[in-house]
Amino acid sequence: MKIGFPRALFYYDYFPFWAGFFYHLGIEVETSPPTQRQIMEDGLKKTSDETCLPLKLLAGHIQALKDVDAIFLPRMVSMEENTYNCPKFLGIPESLLSAVPPEIPVLSAVINWRKGQRQVLKDLRILGMQLGKSGAEIHRAFLEGHEWQQHYQDSRGGEWDFEEKMREIEYVTRQTTKTRPQNFSVQLSENHQNCQKDLKITLIGHSYLVQECYANLNLLQRLREHAEVNLIQHVEREDVEAHLSGLRKKLFWSHAKQIYGAGNKFVEDPTVDGIIYLTCFGCGTDSMVQELLAQRVRKHHKPYMVITLDEHTGEAGLVTRLEAFLDMVERRKVREGYVSAYGECLDSHSNTL
Amino acid sequence: MKVTFPHMGNAWIVIQTLFESLNIEVVVPPMNSKQTLTLGAKLAPEAACLPLKLNLGNYIEAVRDGADTIVITGGIGPCRFGYYGEIERQILREAGYHFDVVTLEPPDGSLRGLAQRIRYLAGEKNSWASILKALRFAYLKCVALDQVEDMIHAARPRLADSQETERLYAEGKKRLAQAMTVKGIQDSVRSIRQSLHDHQMAGDKNADKFQKPLRIGIIGEIYTILDPFTSVGIEEELGRLGVEVDRSIYLSGWVGNHIFQGLAPGYRSIRSYPSHAKPFLSHFVGGHGQETVGAAVKFAREGFDGIIQLFPLSCMPEIVAASVLPRVQETYQVPIMTLIVDEHTGHAGIQTRLEAFVDLLERPSLKDISETSREGVSVVGER
Repeated sequence: MKIGFPRALFYYDYFPFWAGFFYHLGIEVETSPPTQRQIMEDGLKKTSDETCLPLKLLAGHIQALKDVDAIFLPRMVSMEENTYNCPKFLGIPESLLSAVPPEIPVLSAVINWRKGQRQVLKDLRILGMQLGKSGAEIHRAFLEGHEWQQHYQDSRGGEWDFEEKMREIEYVTRQTTKTRPQNFSVQLSENHQNCQKDLKITLIGHSYLVQECYANLNLLQRLREHAEVNLIQHVEREDVEAHLSGLRKKLFWSHAKQIYGAGNKFVEDPTVDGIIYLTCFGCGTDSMVQELLAQRVRKHHKPYMVITLDEHTGEAGLVTRLEAFLDMVERRKVREGYVSAYGECLDSHSNTL
Repeated sequence: MKVTFPHMGNAWIVIQTLFESLNIEVVVPPMNSKQTLTLGAKLAPEAACLPLKLNLGNYIEAVRDGADTIVITGGIGPCRFGYYGEIERQILREAGYHFDVVTLEPPDGSLRGLAQRIRYLAGEKNSWASILKALRFAYLKCVALDQVEDMIHAARPRLADSQETERLYAEGKKRLAQAMTVKGIQDSVRSIRQSLHDHQMAGDKNADKFQKPLRIGIIGEIYTILDPFTSVGIEEELGRLGVEVDRSIYLSGWVGNHIFQGLAPGYRSIRSYPSHAKPFLSHFVGGHGQETVGAAVKFAREGFDGIIQLFPLSCMPEIVAASVLPRVQETYQVPIMTLIVDEHTGHAGIQTRLEAFVDLLERPSLKDISETSREGVSVVGER
């Protein structure tokens, strides 16, 4: 049996778990190719206008899965206690059924950690029944998946490269040796060589935007050419929890919690020269968290830029803004942050200083 | 302490009653208006949903009357509304307004914390018994308001003079707002029912085309459908076009479910919706996404002529619902239109779309009439 796993949305955070899970069950997992123009266009055709870019991309990736026995679309309700994922995660797979080719069945599983591990295992067993696997097998597969996920999370940080890691995992899950995809190897080579960069920039945003190098027009790579880039995904969970202060009410979205907590850490870090918030049009959780974070940034007088992606984002516009931002950050650093005293009053409410 | 709260349709009547019967000083902000929205949109994040912008506008307008404490309900659902209290507090503080924000919800699930917050608002002079009594009274008023609103929905397409209907509605709301006893509430409802009945009797003789109006179900995000300013008066507009409107959620249904955690059903309980939605959306998605789908199914099964979904731009649960609704439309062969509102929504645009939608719904019935008349004069031709 071969299961199709779209390379979008939940892929970026939770693929290792599912890869390990299916690997243990002896089920081959086929991921869709990296995003390219055709995928995006297909996705746009099959989704409503109002939904966000990552979901549109997901619809495209679903259509890109050919020759599979089923498409796997898990409903990731919650990944840790007392939090939820975004409502759009909860609406999968129903909201995307129109994008699934009619001849391919959809497999789904509810993952809800709010109710504890027992419930997660119970829901996985339902999936197991559809696959014809016993409860014990599912349990072992769950542990295996968990281990893979843990290993993946522990390995993050530093010189770590997302795509490389994912390729490693995908390679194993494919089991039968096939030709590896070559077309996106451009990413790797350069950034390991000149590590001596003066600027330290933090890129904040959902993993499915930051690592989605087609939709974000290779933003991460472009940044890495000029600066040392920190990602919030690499921040340890304890660190995130420690930086949630200042909120009277806990954030109840797990992604938002990570973005705010880790973002806050970098805002307070004096060695970080600038912060870029990458969001997409129509992202509900970001609309709140971005505001919360912007307030923190203003307080700490950090250069800050928000980039909003959608399907019409143009390369020239992005590059211009990025260059201008980096120039500004660099200049600020050289002059040790000296800004004329008039500046603050003139522009106390803007996001930058 | 002067308490204020955000507007949501007729909710102000209920909230005002609640606070006043506990002798808490309360400031009812001016009704939602363009001005409110402009004030709110200035402070709110651009991508935030419309209710947040209106809420902020409400508070700022209430400041002029000396309000210093905000009361809002919360929640831990994945809908953004659950976080309104905190983000509004931070935005207002940043903008230089010093409000105390009390979110009425169990903090981290602790009922004790909720009790403390209620105690903080109610002060020491109110006993728990009197608080419960006030809650019950406010709830009864809420149900009565919904009854009146539903009567008006039925009256709008049937009464000849639409302005007269609106006047009756306004009068009914005023009477209910002033009623301070259970009997007073009952009397007001009865008298409104009576005067609507009288008007219908007076008008009925010369208008039999109003006998069986088109029926449209309105579903969607609760704030948008409950608040006539936000929905650009869609119910009134449809009523004027001769359509009987029904709505998926009424205020007391939401209060019963959300605030009393299902202990009170409210007028038109929303509890049955998830089971209706099961075949199309089997899991809750926060907010009222699943209820929206369930209500669409229910309206379709009850033979409504059309359904209109209404939600603010970028509302997450409703976007999920909207992407499921085409399947409901196909299964039940019922036309569903989605309208999205934000701070730039214009009255004329919505009106045009409503007229077009109603025209479309009317067409099948008109066709029948014209065909039978052709047969009547025995014109040659096939059906």
